[in-house]
Amino acid sequence: MTDSTSRGGRRGTLIAAAASAVLCVVGVGAVTLGARGTDGPPTPTVAAPSISVPAPDAAPAPMAPSPRNSTTPRFGRFLPASRPTVLDIPSIGVHSAAFVDLDVTADGTISVPGTADEVGFYVGGPTPGQLGPAVIAAHVDSTQGPGVFYRLGAIKVGASIRVSRADGSVLRFVVDKVALYPKDRFPTDQVYRSTFDRAEIRLVTCGGTFDKVRHYLDNVVVFGHLFGDEKP
Amino acid sequence: MRKQSKFVGATFGAITLLALGAGPALASGSSVNANLKPIPGSGVEGSGTAMVSVSGTTITVTMAATGLLAGQPHAAHIHFGADARHECPVIGDDTNKDGHLNTSEGAPAYGPIVVSLTKSGDTSPASALAVKRFDTAPGGKLTYERGSIKVSSAVAAAISAGKAVVVIHGVDYNKDGKYSGTVKSDLAPTLPTEATDPALCGALLAAPVGGMATGDGGAAGGVNSGLLIIGGGALVAAAGTGVIAGRRSRTAVR
Repeated sequence: MTDSTSRGGRRGTLIAAAASAVLCVVGVGAVTLGARGTDGPPTPTVAAPSISVPAPDAAPAPMAPSPRNSTTPRFGRFLPASRPTVLDIPSIGVHSAAFVDLDVTADGTISVPGTADEVGFYVGGPTPGQLGPAVIAAHVDSTQGPGVFYRLGAIKVGASIRVSRADGSVLRFVVDKVALYPKDRFPTDQVYRSTFDRAEIRLVTCGGTFDKVRHYLDNVVVFGHLFGDEKP
Repeated sequence: MRKQSKFVGATFGAITLLALGAGPALASGSSVNANLKPIPGSGVEGSGTAMVSVSGTTITVTMAATGLLAGQPHAAHIHFGADARHECPVIGDDTNKDGHLNTSEGAPAYGPIVVSLTKSGDTSPASALAVKRFDTAPGGKLTYERGSIKVSSAVAAAISAGKAVVVIHGVDYNKDGKYSGTVKSDLAPTLPTEATDPALCGALLAAPVGGMATGDGGAAGGVNSGLLIIGGGALVAAAGTGVIAGRRSRTAVR
């Protein structure tokens, strides 16, 4: 439900769009699918949060993090900090050892890798294996063609993400959710907010409509958590 | 600028915004995160993460760190000084050139203590060295959470603005497994400097704003105009117009 692949083809996506009952979901979904045409990068169907439409006066509680002081967090197992060195996602053919640092720029936004062949690691957050979300971003494409994360939108819930670290450990994360968010409604809290019950990972790239001013309007975000690790 | 465009979107299409899950981002209080790294010259091979959530003048602090001297009390504080650099000290701050940074030497970087991260009781700077109320890092791992910590509005604002720094103290220069040595603490002459020298430090910073510009379109699909028209019509019919308002404001931003 939260992911789809280009393998489904246009017929499937057309049916999905037609079957959608909620107006603004149809709007976003159809614009997305229309712009994809036949050859764009695979795209998750719709942002996961949009599957339910609360009444205007309903509290947006379902997506809100629970208040930290209402429960004592169970601190999950965590590893010392160590930089990621290799990213492997066999199910979508990703393998890259070209890690670069991403950091907050002067205007408050995050920097992005300089080329579509590099994978960026957000150094302001935890490293993979520490408690909280390790954020990794790469380009879906460049003006020249597909980037490292071209097929990110096709990843499935339950898929493995393998991260090798500088200390020699190899960590395996499992995908919990794949979603598409308009960039101006990027879920900053869900992506960056620390979680202390487990080590998590976020993979981010562009997706959705490629507009007239040459920007993708959406971000594909993959959410995962640490499933296991091999000692160095 | 971005906040403004978000606000415009919210005004024109609150329903659409809720449907797309932007509500929580607008509704939740601010939170800042710190990557805790070893203080230069401390000999610590540790790391950790910390988060401070600010709601008015009440904060909740959560920390997890590893690689600390096991079984010894580790004083931990939030530091802030208006004149400080709002960052962790560098080895250049070692004014007495002994190769280690004590708490006072770090002050130009992180400022004075504004919150003592005790596990119980008082959290004011007066509890800075209340050794019996700090975590002892069993096995070298420290986990900490405490909510309902009251701070001044100035401190709350400084934390939200990304100007505060978390420091965990307690090192073991001579690797004897305890706080020892002849050098006394710059804070309390009865304690060895190992007990109070900073070990791990991290500036509390807000997450980046907005999405990521991770595509240039070289592999984008062709535009299917038929579906675009259907979708555009549905967007207009969606009445909230938040999506369209957001698109306009985004054009203005760039």
